[in-house]
Amino acid sequence: MIRVEDVRVEYESKRVLSGIDLVIGPGEFVSLVGQTGCGKSTLLRLILAEETPSSGRVLVEGVERRQPDRHSGYVPQKYSLFPDKTVLDNITFGLEVSQFGLLAPFQPGYWKARKKFRAQALDYVRTVGLHESDAGKYPHQLSGGMQQRVAIAQALIMQPKILLMDEAFSALDPGTRSGMQRLIKKIWRETCTTILFVTHNTREAISLSTRIIALAKSNVEGQGSTVALDMPIPDPLPESEITDLIHHIEERTQPMPALKKGNTEPDYVVLQAPRA
Amino acid sequence: MSVLAIHAHPGRMTAWILSWLLFITGITAYFYTAQARHRENPDDRVTPTLAQMGQAFLDAALKPAQEEQANEAASQSLAARFLDSMLWKDTKATGRRFFYSMALLLPTVLIGLHMAVFPYIGAFLLRFFLFFDKIIALSLLPILFIAFGIDELSKVMLIVIGVAPTIILDSFNLTKGVPNEQIVKGFTLGAGDFTIAYRIILKQIWPRVLNSIRLNLKAVMLFLFAGEMIASTDGLAYRIALLRRHMGMDTIIPYVLWVALLLFLVDLSMRVLNRRLHPWFQA
Repeated sequence: MIRVEDVRVEYESKRVLSGIDLVIGPGEFVSLVGQTGCGKSTLLRLILAEETPSSGRVLVEGVERRQPDRHSGYVPQKYSLFPDKTVLDNITFGLEVSQFGLLAPFQPGYWKARKKFRAQALDYVRTVGLHESDAGKYPHQLSGGMQQRVAIAQALIMQPKILLMDEAFSALDPGTRSGMQRLIKKIWRETCTTILFVTHNTREAISLSTRIIALAKSNVEGQGSTVALDMPIPDPLPESEITDLIHHIEERTQPMPALKKGNTEPDYVVLQAPRA
Repeated sequence: MSVLAIHAHPGRMTAWILSWLLFITGITAYFYTAQARHRENPDDRVTPTLAQMGQAFLDAALKPAQEEQANEAASQSLAARFLDSMLWKDTKATGRRFFYSMALLLPTVLIGLHMAVFPYIGAFLLRFFLFFDKIIALSLLPILFIAFGIDELSKVMLIVIGVAPTIILDSFNLTKGVPNEQIVKGFTLGAGDFTIAYRIILKQIWPRVLNSIRLNLKAVMLFLFAGEMIASTDGLAYRIALLRRHMGMDTIIPYVLWVALLLFLVDLSMRVLNRRLHPWFQA
């Protein structure tokens, strides 16, 4: 559960976020949409605890965190992999350091555990649709799409409570992008991980998530549940229906009412089906 | 197409010839001048001929450093004679100082790393090293001789003081250049501060740091030569300074080329090592 309470962020008197209130429930797949510079990534960094708000607070699992930790998985748009490590080493890195620390190779039981980690990592390599032969490659030997697949595996192997994806597919070509969208949706269905997906692409948000939160002018302009559209969203979504949906969401989304303290239910506007 | 066009690429053979042209011109010009001067004055010492330089180099490389050992040397193998020679003894003395300095310079990388990773350390040290970097190390030489004496320590300290701030600030900048996403990613994977510093950042900047050290090899040698020329009883620079007094150009020129060759080999081995140790690094 993520709770954002009356959060404001200002950089040298420039307001980036003003009075944001949000609740994201467990297992939700929420997309944060909005134009460049509207504060989407700032909001994600606040939830990640990479940044602290000027006022207000952000609670993840009921705790106000001081710095990013392993409760959250993170897949950025770029630099998502460690360039000096192979695919397998990138995926096992989290398991190694979280269990054995800085001097992992010198810790008792490390080498035995390492074999297990690598076997586990190979499972994830296959889960994200990569071939076992890619396991020994370095990030620069992989395409952009393959790199993002590894980044997802790297985050998922830690079994995070929430997965934060910051424009994770923005740099990919359309074909690779739709493949990645199918993959993340499949993973979400299988793992029920809470996902917060930042994108400036409304179509992508609609086709992926259960709820869309639209940011504009430093605030939440509207939000709506795509689940509540009461229609199965075909995958991939036909072009004509995407346009209908965007119009529909834009018409129906309304400013979100302020959260009441102690309210644990998400306060979002439920949309009606686009076609009666 | 004009040869000065951006898209005018020389062919392989042309590029090869062009790359050697200045060497050939320089060598030709030298020997032409040497011949001309020797025609005018057969005892000219300013521009020795190839034969004179070859003989002087062989003497330096194969004759024993001590005159009294000359008779024994004749019966020894070439390798044994080289190990007794003046050239080898000078090379060994300079090499020892060079490697002590490098051993002291490597840990300075960690200072730059910590300054960039931990803001408190950065706040404490950055201004100091920025100022320190502007001090001309050679101007400190008299102070070093007074403080540490004229032995090895002052020469090694001169190199460290001269080059360390550059390496520290380079490591600092390289660390700052690591994308923040990598640090955040590290935290989300359960890594602590020091794990991120050493296992994510240091490993990523290390090949670039090695490159930076490689590019500073000339500065290291410059300070080393300055120290040896002023106060030393052995070493390649000491020998060059000594021979200058006797106008021993026939030995000085081969010595200069020997130093260049050694530095080239150190540079090459560092490059090869860097490539072998960091196959992922392409720069």
